[in-house]
Amino acid sequence: MNEEQKITLTGKEQWHVLKRLLTYLKPHKKSIVIALMLLLITVLGDIVGPLLIKIFMDDYLTPRHFPTNTLVILATTYIGIQILNSVISYLQMLRFNILALKVIQQLRIDVYSKVHKLGMRYFDKTPAGSIVSRVTNDTEAIMEMFVSVLIGFVQSGFLVIGVYIAMFALNWKLALATVILLPILFCIVYIYRKYSAFYYMDMRERLSQLNAKLAESLSGMSIVQAFRQEKRFRDEFDEINEKHYKAVMSSIKLDGLLLRPVIDLVYAFGLILMLSFFGITSFSEPVEIGVIYAFVSYINRFFEPINQVMQRLSIFQQAIVSASRVFTLLDDKELDPQQLDDPSVKMSDGHIEFSNVTFSYDGKTDVLKDISFTVKPGETVALVGHTGSGKSSIINLLMRFYEFERGEILIDGQSIKNFPKQTLRQQMGLVLQDPFLFYGNIESNIKLFNENMSEEDVKAAAEFVQADQFIESMPNGYKHLVSERGSTFSSGQRQLIAFARTIATNPKVLVLDEATATIDTETEVAIQASLDKMRQGRTTIAIAHRLSTIQDAEQILVLHHGEIVERGTHQELLAKNGLYHKMYQLQNGLVQEVG
Amino acid sequence: MKVFFELGWFFKERKKQYLVGISLLIMVAMLQLVPPKIIGVVVDEIGGGSLTVGSLVKWLSLLAASAILMYVIRYYWRIMIFGSSMTLAKRLRAKLFHHFTSMAPSFYQKRRIGDLMAHATNDVSAVQQTAGNGVLTLVDSITTGGFVILAMAITIDWKLTLIALIPMPFMALSTNYYGKLLHARFHHAQAAFSDLNDKTQESITGIKVMKTFGQDKEDIADFKRLSDEVVAKNTRVAKVDSLFDPTISLVVGISFFLTIIFGAKFVVAGDMTLGDLVSFTSYLGLLVWPMLAFGLLFNIMERGSASYDRIQNLLAEKMDVEDKEDALSIRPQGDIEFNINSFTFPGDETPALKDVQFTLKRGETLGVVGKTGAGKTAILKLLMREFDGYDGEIRYGDHVIGDYQAIKLREAIGYVPQEHFLFSASLYQNIAFTNPDVGEDEVTNAARIAQIHDDILRFTEGYNTVVGERGVSLSGGQKQRISIARALLMKPELLILDDSLSAVDAKTEEAILESLKEARTDATTIITSHRLSALVHAHLIIVLHEGAVVEKGTHDELMALKGRYFEMYQLQQLEQQVEEGVSQHE
Repeated sequence: MNEEQKITLTGKEQWHVLKRLLTYLKPHKKSIVIALMLLLITVLGDIVGPLLIKIFMDDYLTPRHFPTNTLVILATTYIGIQILNSVISYLQMLRFNILALKVIQQLRIDVYSKVHKLGMRYFDKTPAGSIVSRVTNDTEAIMEMFVSVLIGFVQSGFLVIGVYIAMFALNWKLALATVILLPILFCIVYIYRKYSAFYYMDMRERLSQLNAKLAESLSGMSIVQAFRQEKRFRDEFDEINEKHYKAVMSSIKLDGLLLRPVIDLVYAFGLILMLSFFGITSFSEPVEIGVIYAFVSYINRFFEPINQVMQRLSIFQQAIVSASRVFTLLDDKELDPQQLDDPSVKMSDGHIEFSNVTFSYDGKTDVLKDISFTVKPGETVALVGHTGSGKSSIINLLMRFYEFERGEILIDGQSIKNFPKQTLRQQMGLVLQDPFLFYGNIESNIKLFNENMSEEDVKAAAEFVQADQFIESMPNGYKHLVSERGSTFSSGQRQLIAFARTIATNPKVLVLDEATATIDTETEVAIQASLDKMRQGRTTIAIAHRLSTIQDAEQILVLHHGEIVERGTHQELLAKNGLYHKMYQLQNGLVQEVG
Repeated sequence: MKVFFELGWFFKERKKQYLVGISLLIMVAMLQLVPPKIIGVVVDEIGGGSLTVGSLVKWLSLLAASAILMYVIRYYWRIMIFGSSMTLAKRLRAKLFHHFTSMAPSFYQKRRIGDLMAHATNDVSAVQQTAGNGVLTLVDSITTGGFVILAMAITIDWKLTLIALIPMPFMALSTNYYGKLLHARFHHAQAAFSDLNDKTQESITGIKVMKTFGQDKEDIADFKRLSDEVVAKNTRVAKVDSLFDPTISLVVGISFFLTIIFGAKFVVAGDMTLGDLVSFTSYLGLLVWPMLAFGLLFNIMERGSASYDRIQNLLAEKMDVEDKEDALSIRPQGDIEFNINSFTFPGDETPALKDVQFTLKRGETLGVVGKTGAGKTAILKLLMREFDGYDGEIRYGDHVIGDYQAIKLREAIGYVPQEHFLFSASLYQNIAFTNPDVGEDEVTNAARIAQIHDDILRFTEGYNTVVGERGVSLSGGQKQRISIARALLMKPELLILDDSLSAVDAKTEEAILESLKEARTDATTIITSHRLSALVHAHLIIVLHEGAVVEKGTHDELMALKGRYFEMYQLQQLEQQVEEGVSQHE
């Protein structure tokens, strides 16, 4: 909600946002020039039409003088212009539309790429739903603006200028008088924008509350139902729905007061102005009817695009707000920790060293305090401790999810910050406690976009973690559909697929974040065996809450409130009679009660 | 048109607003005829030299009065018609939401949340457009169009009117054709957008995995592929969409052309004045909007109709489990008798449960053991009546569970799921989920039993700490314990811990089990777990394998059986013995 709320922009900010949006047009300069030329031609056609009729009325119809040849030329020109104009305006509209689509596609890709660059901190504080909105809905709103506002705006601008040129040519005095319409229109636009910005903001905010409520309720529906809170959620939803309705009604009222109805009023004023001018002139000198006709036509044409643009000002308002949110995301500095990206830095053995690392998520409380330890190539270090003791933070730093300033992490003697990102990602395999599966099939989940991986590689990986049996028992085997978040699989099966995914990349360093927590004992025995296999030749850092799974680790670090309080092998730690021993006894004791 | 009939119930309900709104629209349509007529009259008076200051003032005042009247009326019909359409949107949204809350889990397994969201937002807004803009364009194209044509025919010249109207049917035909084309293409464009949306949603939710595997380039490439699809599909839409305006202006242009040529003839013949011709062309100008509206109407109706169909389909989805008519409105209490011969999840081929029988006395604890997929969760789902279609009987107290109102049954059950889900609210509100007005004592008490109280106090904001979407700032174990506290707060008759201690360490697990035993002396508990330590104290343990009970008894009995449970236990025991052996050396 936080950033959703901040959508009041000053005029200056709006202008900046718009200018920045327009920079996206730069790569399409050629296309724009062509489209503008086409637009110019159509406007020219629009202007010439009434002029031809005026000539016909004043020069031929009024004096009843009908030379056939001239009239045929006149008629042919008129109809030719109409047909040509239709064709050209089609091409021009299509061109602008495609342009807008391409511009938005680029913006979308930019936003999406940026999202990938953002650090975990950003994702911690921003709900996924609102990031998705930035990528899809906000950009969609911007496209709406490109198609219906900006293009309309340019069109109106061209037309207004054209109409004025024609009017000045016909009768400069009247044309000068009608210039007064411009400040009136300008005032209306100004007032409307001022108020609509306020109402519009309110409406948008209600809408985003509505959607947030809907999204969360849908994701947590099983909980809502299990705890029979349906009524409360309905009531809450109804309340937000009602508020949204009221906000929308206010904005409908504002639109009714200041949009099309008022423009039509100004149009009537323009007519009155014109008729009085011609009327008064007629008292002293003759007036050409064709000129009146032409002016009436021009005034009509003049207001139509203005009406359309006004009608779409709210789209503009929305798009600017959307764009400013998109740009806020694009400008966000909460990036993934930066790597030096020195291609000569290679991971050879997987020797890991933490040296006096202190770390804090919020800058206030340190969750890791002066952590130092070394993992020799091929060895396993296990992290044990209570929840909140800092185990996961160590992994978060090692995986470079978060940047740290104090202390150093060295891999093969090099600072972890020097490695190219790609090397780190390829060489370090993380298995999370909560395996995340993507929509697709089992194979695509194991490959995870890695096109270099063959079907055999996928199968080998699955076999390695003993996931092959259950996968092959599925109706479509490796092509079996994985629905959203893999909800049709059990957590054990999901974890097995996640294991296969990690193994398939053949990493040098294995990082296990309570990877076996959600797997039942029988499956775990199988997995434990393959984990042992996996660990051979790989440096492993494992978090485990079950001490039995890590007792062969070369080193066990016992963490407590962000500090390493004990370290050693299983036996050494037991001999110490300290925290580890206590934890061990507890687990041990629990089982002894069984017996 | 179909969609207007389908929405008939709503129009009936808002009869007054729609009648007033449409009457106002008709008045505007008539008033619109005034300015062109005045232009014509003034032109004629100028041309004939008969214009006086008095007549000029008269005509212009009339023009001003009609303009102001139109302004007022235009404001009010908007409130009536657009306002009503917003009411419809509100109603449909509420209807959908209420419906969503009553749908069973199987409903959610079949659908993606993004799609459901789209129905409640995009589809509702398309239907709202139909009830607002759709009605407007329908009425406007008929009335304005009709009145203008009548005015041209009656007050000016019917022959010229007929001639000017010759090209018009082409407009109707072509816009209708474009509309049909557009419908299908628009659908594809929507689908492409929805794919893009789903993809984004998923990648962002799974961002940690993405980062872990460093597949950002490939993922962006995939995103680009989908966005290319969006561009391609929307270009197809634009190709048709851009046809509307040029076609209309071409038709109107030809109509203008015919008017001028034949109008000039009539003027020369003395059948009409030059002023009439100017009025006539102004009227023709007024016809453009109704014709455009006509084109728009198809567009709006097509979209609205498709969206309304989708909404109706969703609303027509039956609840899997419905209350009997005379369902008991008492909270079940007593022993649980579970007798299932066979149960198969809808859509599956092999049964999830086969011959599962057990009796659980009130106050006892049942332990359920088995591999993933052995049927543990199926038992719980049936107990909670998420599914009805099974061969067998489940009794709770004196009645089978189907006899109770579903809401009463659930009131008795405190369920802690495997997948913890917390709402974007404070920890306090998350724990006090079933009763937001509950006292602080009860909340802290529940938190204490779940061993999360101390953790909560350690947060700077304490119980007021807001957890983000899916509770990002908490560890898995903390989330599980909050879930347990949430279930405990309702003081359930039956507490179900569905593998919900998996992310909690041994020490905390023992503490939770211990405090549960103390706090819930008469209450029934069912625990599924892969960790045997959580089940040792159970009065009854059933061991499941491929949906069937393979062993049943207390821990001691099961040990004596020397079967699967024994094996599993031995496995854990073996680990212990190794450790014990090590420690004996010390």
